[in-house]
Amino acid sequence: MSQTTSEPTTEPEPQQGLALGAAPGDLLQRLRTAVARRTEGRAVALLTLVVITVAIVEPRALTSYPVTLGRIALIGLVALGLTAVILMGELDLGVASTLAVSGVVMASFESLTVGIIVALLGGLLIGVVNAFFVVIVGINSFIATLGMLFFLRGAAFVISGEQPVRVANADTALQFGRPLVGPLTPRILIFIVVFIALHVFVTRMRVGREFYAVGGNREAAYDAGIPVVRRVFTGFMISGFVSALAGVINAMERTAADPTAGGTVLLASFAAAIIGGVLLNGGRGSIVGALLGAATLGILQVSLTLSGVQVDVQNIIIGSVLLLAVISDPASVRRVMARASTFLSERSKPQPAG
Amino acid sequence: MSEQPTVASDAGVGTRPVVDARNISKAFGGVQAVDDVSLAVVPGEIHAVVGENGAGKSTLMRTLSGIIAPDSGQVLVDGVALQPGDTRAALAAGISLVHQELSLVPEMTVAENIVLGSTPTNGGFIDRREQRRIAAEALEEIGVTVDLDELISRLSMALRQFVEIARAVARKPRVLILDEPTATLTPAETDYLLDMLQRLADRGLAILYISHRIPEIFRIGDRITVLRDGQHVDTVDVADTDPDAVVRMMVGRELEATLGEHREADPGEVIVSAKGIRAPGVNGIDLEVRAGEIVGLGGLVGAGRTELVRAILGADPRTDGEVTLTYDGVTHRINSYGAAIRAGFGYIPEERRTDGLALTMSVTDNITLPNRRHLSRGTILERARIKRFAAQLADVVGLRPPDVSREVGQFSGGNQQKVVLAKWLGREPVAIVLDEPTRGVDVGAKAEIHRLVRELADDGKAVLVVSSDLPELLELSDTIHVVRDGRIMGTLDRAEANEAAVMALASGQTAGTSAGSDTTSEVDA
Amino acid sequence: MMTDEPVAETPSPDQAAATTPAAEPGIEERAVTVTEWMADRGIFIFTALLILAAAVFIDGFASLTNITDVFNRAAPIGIVAVGMTFVVISANYLDLSVVAQVATSAVVLIAVSNEYGFVLAILAAIVIALVYGFVNGVAVGVFKANAVIVTLSTTFIGLGLLRWVSGGSIYFGPPDGPVRVFGSTRLGPIPLSMIVLVAMTLLLSFVLNRTTFGFLVKAYGSNREATRLTGANTAMVVIGAFVITALAAMVGGFVLAAFSNTAVSSMSTGFDFRALAAIIVGGTSVFGGRGSVMRTLLGVVFVSVLTNIMVLSGLGFGMQQMAIGLLIVAAVSVDALARKAGTS
Repeated sequence: MSQTTSEPTTEPEPQQGLALGAAPGDLLQRLRTAVARRTEGRAVALLTLVVITVAIVEPRALTSYPVTLGRIALIGLVALGLTAVILMGELDLGVASTLAVSGVVMASFESLTVGIIVALLGGLLIGVVNAFFVVIVGINSFIATLGMLFFLRGAAFVISGEQPVRVANADTALQFGRPLVGPLTPRILIFIVVFIALHVFVTRMRVGREFYAVGGNREAAYDAGIPVVRRVFTGFMISGFVSALAGVINAMERTAADPTAGGTVLLASFAAAIIGGVLLNGGRGSIVGALLGAATLGILQVSLTLSGVQVDVQNIIIGSVLLLAVISDPASVRRVMARASTFLSERSKPQPAG
Repeated sequence: MSEQPTVASDAGVGTRPVVDARNISKAFGGVQAVDDVSLAVVPGEIHAVVGENGAGKSTLMRTLSGIIAPDSGQVLVDGVALQPGDTRAALAAGISLVHQELSLVPEMTVAENIVLGSTPTNGGFIDRREQRRIAAEALEEIGVTVDLDELISRLSMALRQFVEIARAVARKPRVLILDEPTATLTPAETDYLLDMLQRLADRGLAILYISHRIPEIFRIGDRITVLRDGQHVDTVDVADTDPDAVVRMMVGRELEATLGEHREADPGEVIVSAKGIRAPGVNGIDLEVRAGEIVGLGGLVGAGRTELVRAILGADPRTDGEVTLTYDGVTHRINSYGAAIRAGFGYIPEERRTDGLALTMSVTDNITLPNRRHLSRGTILERARIKRFAAQLADVVGLRPPDVSREVGQFSGGNQQKVVLAKWLGREPVAIVLDEPTRGVDVGAKAEIHRLVRELADDGKAVLVVSSDLPELLELSDTIHVVRDGRIMGTLDRAEANEAAVMALASGQTAGTSAGSDTTSEVDA
Repeated sequence: MMTDEPVAETPSPDQAAATTPAAEPGIEERAVTVTEWMADRGIFIFTALLILAAAVFIDGFASLTNITDVFNRAAPIGIVAVGMTFVVISANYLDLSVVAQVATSAVVLIAVSNEYGFVLAILAAIVIALVYGFVNGVAVGVFKANAVIVTLSTTFIGLGLLRWVSGGSIYFGPPDGPVRVFGSTRLGPIPLSMIVLVAMTLLLSFVLNRTTFGFLVKAYGSNREATRLTGANTAMVVIGAFVITALAAMVGGFVLAAFSNTAVSSMSTGFDFRALAAIIVGGTSVFGGRGSVMRTLLGVVFVSVLTNIMVLSGLGFGMQQMAIGLLIVAAVSVDALARKAGTS
C-alpha cells in the first residue's frame, strides 16, 4: 500500500494543455481511490485475519460476544483518547497510571457521584499538567509523560495505601456491570458514546480537525493562525479525561480500585492505536482505526484466555504485535527495503575494469 | 498622495496603486538587505521583481506581507499605512503571499487545506458545504479542477503548488505575491500557471511575481522592477525593454570582467566520473572532474544541483547511474555514502547547521568526527594527537577565535563553515564536493574559504562546487555546468563563462548545448 | 527562537543574521544564566546538601549499617544506569526493558547455575543480553522506530517470557555456591558489588570518552545527520548503545541476585525510572549529545540517598515513586529551560 504521489488522477499531460484535475472515473476507480485515502488498511487486514482464525480455532470468543465486547471497550477506551494526542505528534505514556489513580480517587470518596466527578476532573488536570510541560516548558512529550507515568502510579499507591480500595457504595457500583440494553453493559455503551463523540470531533469539528494540521505540519498550522498551544492542551485533556473515565468504569465494575490496575493497558492501547494506522509522528490516523485495532487485540486476548493461554503468554503476544506494528510503519519499511535492494544490487554488479 | 506613479499598460489597468511600498530599508546584522526601495503595484498589473540571489527580493516581499518589519519606510494599501510586521493586518488588507515552501497539511483534503485557519463553522462543527463552496470557488478562479476530497499527500508537487495558490486566492486578496512559483513545475505546468496568472490579472488582481526566469517574465509581466544588492535599479515597462537589458541590469557589475585572480588550472587525470546519474530531481547527468580542476555547478534554486551531488556521493539513494573515483591507478566504485567517504570523497553539505556540524560539540570534536580512525590507535582515541590535529587545522582554515575547545554553535556562520572545511581537510580527500560553501558567511571568511578551495585544486584534488552566488561560481570554477530541471543545459569553460551566459542557461532563456528536449516531459520510472 | 528558514536567495541576509549573532565574527559573549549553571553544576551541590541534611536530621542515616545498605542497593541500579547513559546520550530517551533484562539475568544466573553450573549460567545470560541489545538496537537504529515504544514492547515480551518459563517462582542459590560467595565477599568494609559498580563506571566512562565508538554515540546524539554524513555507520552506533545497556543490565542482575542469593521475576521493579532519574539528575541531557558516565554515578548516589531518606522516614514505595517521577520532570525542565536560554 505505497502512497505514490503520481496517481493516475494527478498525472499531468503536457501535450494537451494541463489535465490537472481528476475525472471522477468509474465506480471501481472511485472505490479504489476512496480506499487508498484511508489509513485503516492494516487494521482491517489484521482484524479479518484474527476473526477468521478465531472463528476456526476458538469460536467461543465470537459467540460469547458480551465478554469480547467488554474487553474491546476496556482496551479501546484508552486507545481512543491516546489517539487524539498521537494525531498531534505527541504521546501520553501516563494513560495507564491515570486510569489507576482515578479509580483509586473515585473509590476513596464516600459518595459515588462526588468520587466520579473528582476523578474525571483529576483526569482533565493531568492533561493540563502534561500539556504544560510539553508546550510551555518544552520537554519532549515522551519524557514529560513518562515522569507522569511514574508519579501517578506512585500517587495511586499512596492514596490507596498500597492495596485495593473497595468502592463505598458497592451495590450501585455492582449495577454498573450489568447489561443495560441487550448484552450491552454501561461500559460498552460509554465506549460507544466516546467513540462516536471523538470520531465526530476529529472529523466534523474544526478544533478536532485542526489536530491533524498540528501533527501533520506544525509550522503551517502556526502560519495559518491555528492556536497550536491551545490545541495541544485540548488533546492532552481529552486523553487524561478518557483515561480517568476508563479508570472509573474499571473500579465500578470490580467494586474496587486496584492501584496496580491497567498494567497491560498502556501496552494494549498503544498497540491498538498503532495497528489502527495512527502514525506516531502525528498527522495521520483515525479514531475508526484505533477502534479496529482495539477490536483486533480484544478478540485476540479473549480467544487466548478462553483457550487457556496464560496472561504471561498473552503479554508476549501483544508485546510482539506492538513491536511488529511499530517497525512495520510503511515509511520505515520502505526505507529499509530500499537500502537492502541497493545493497544487494551493489553486490551483484561486477566491478568495471580499472 | 502627491505623485502617483502612472502606468501605461496594455492590460488597460487603473493608475491608482493598490499597494505602495515607500522607501523600505531593512538590514540584517550589518548587511543591508533592502536599501531604500520603493515599489507600487496597480490593480490588474503583473509586476515582476527580478534580481540575483541576495538582491533583496524575498526580504522585500516578506516586508510587504508583514512577516518582517522594515527598519524604515512604510507600506500603504489604498493610501492607508499598514502596521509593520503584522501578517494578519497585511492579510486583512488583501495582501496574500504564496509561500515558496509548501505550507500544506499532507493528510488533510484539498478543501480543508484551502480554508485552513479560517475553517467555516456552524456551532463548532465544520460547515462542510461552505468549506467546499469556498474551495471550489477558489479553484475555479484559478481554473484548476481537483477532487476537493483528495488528500494533499496524494497529489503531485505541481498540484500542491496550485492548491497553495488557490488557498491564497480564497482569501480574496487584492495583491497576490508569488515567490518563484515555477521552481518545481514542468514546462507544461509552468505554461498553465502563467496563463492562469494572466487571467487573474485581467480580472483586476494585482500580482507581484518574483522569478529568476527571464522568459516567464517577458511572457506575462507588465512591468519589471530590478533589484541588485538590496537597491532599486530600475522599474521598466516590459514593452520598452528586452531580456538582455534586464540581465545586464540584474548583473550590473563589470559584465566582461575576468574572474578574480586567475588560477593557472592544469587539469590532470579524470578522478571523479559520474555516468547517467538519476535520482529524484536528477534526470540523467554525466559529469567528470579532473585532478586539479574546479568544476562549478550553476543553476537556479531547485534546479537539482544539491540532489545531483548527493546522488553522486550516495548521501541520498540514486535510482540509476555509476560513480567512480580513480587515483593511484585504482578505480573505486562508489555505491554507498560510506564507500564514497572511505574512497576519499569529502562533502560540505548545503545546510551546515543541520547536516554539517554537531553544534553542541566542540570544534575539536567536530574535526575529529570524520578523522576518528586516523586519530585513534585501535579504537582508542589519542587525545594529545587530536588536540594538535584540531589546532593545526583551525590554524590552516583561519578559525577566529582559534579556540578549538569551544562549542561550534557559539561561532559565527563564517567560522562554522571553516570548521566544516577543516573536518574534511584533515582527511586529505582526493575529491571534495562543496554545496553553497559561503552561504550566510561574512566577506572576510568568504575570501578565506575561496583561497582554501583554490589551494585544494592546486594540490591536485578534484573539486566540485555548487553555488548560487554567480560571482563566486565564476571566480572559482575552471568549468561550469549549468543545471536546470535536473539536466545539464550547457557547459561553459573559463573563457566563455560570464554571469549573463550562466543566467541565460539557468533561466532557460537560451537552449543549452545539451540535447534532451525530446525527453523533457518524460516521467522517470 | 532562531529557526533557519529556507530562503531562496543565497547568501541570504536572514541566514547571515541567524548564523552571525554578533556583528563581528567571533564568539558571542553570553552571561551564564542561573538555570544553565544549575543544569551544569547543581547536582554536586544538591547531593552534598542532601547527604548533609540527611546526616543531621534523619536518625540512623549516618550509621555504618545504613550506609552499607545504601551502597548495596545502589550498586545494581547504578550499574544499569551507567550502561543506559549510552542510550540517553544517543538521543533515544531510555531503555524501559532494563527491568526485564535485570530480572532475567538474575533468574538465569541462579536457576541455570543450580542446574548446569555457573559458567553456563553466565554464558546464557550473555547470549540473552546480546539478544536484547540487538532486538532493541535494530528496531530503533535500522527501522527508526521510537525507542520508548520499542522497549515498552520488549519489556512485556521479556517479562512475559521470564514469568512463563519461571512460573514466577523464587530461586535460591546454594548457601556455598559461587553466587553467594560473590555476594558476601568484601574488601575491608567495601562490598564487592560496590567495586563492580565503580569498575563498570570507569570502564564505560573510558568507552564513552576515549573510544571512537563512545565518541560516535555522543556525536550521533548531538546531530544524527551530520554524523551520518561523516561516513559513520549510524545503525551500528545505536545497536552498540543498546548492547552496552543490555550488558550492563546483565551485570546489574548478577549483582542483584548475589546480594540476596535469590532471584525472582519481580525483583527489578522500578529499575527503569530509578536509572533514568539518576542519569538525568546527573546532568546527561535527554536531548542527546551531552552527558557523562561519571556524573550518572553521582546521580545514582543522589537518587539512592533520597530513596534511603524516604525509607528511613517511613515513606512507602508509592511516595518514592512519586518523588522520583517529579525529580525526572524537574530535572528535564531545568535542562529544557537552560537550552531555551542558551539558544535565544
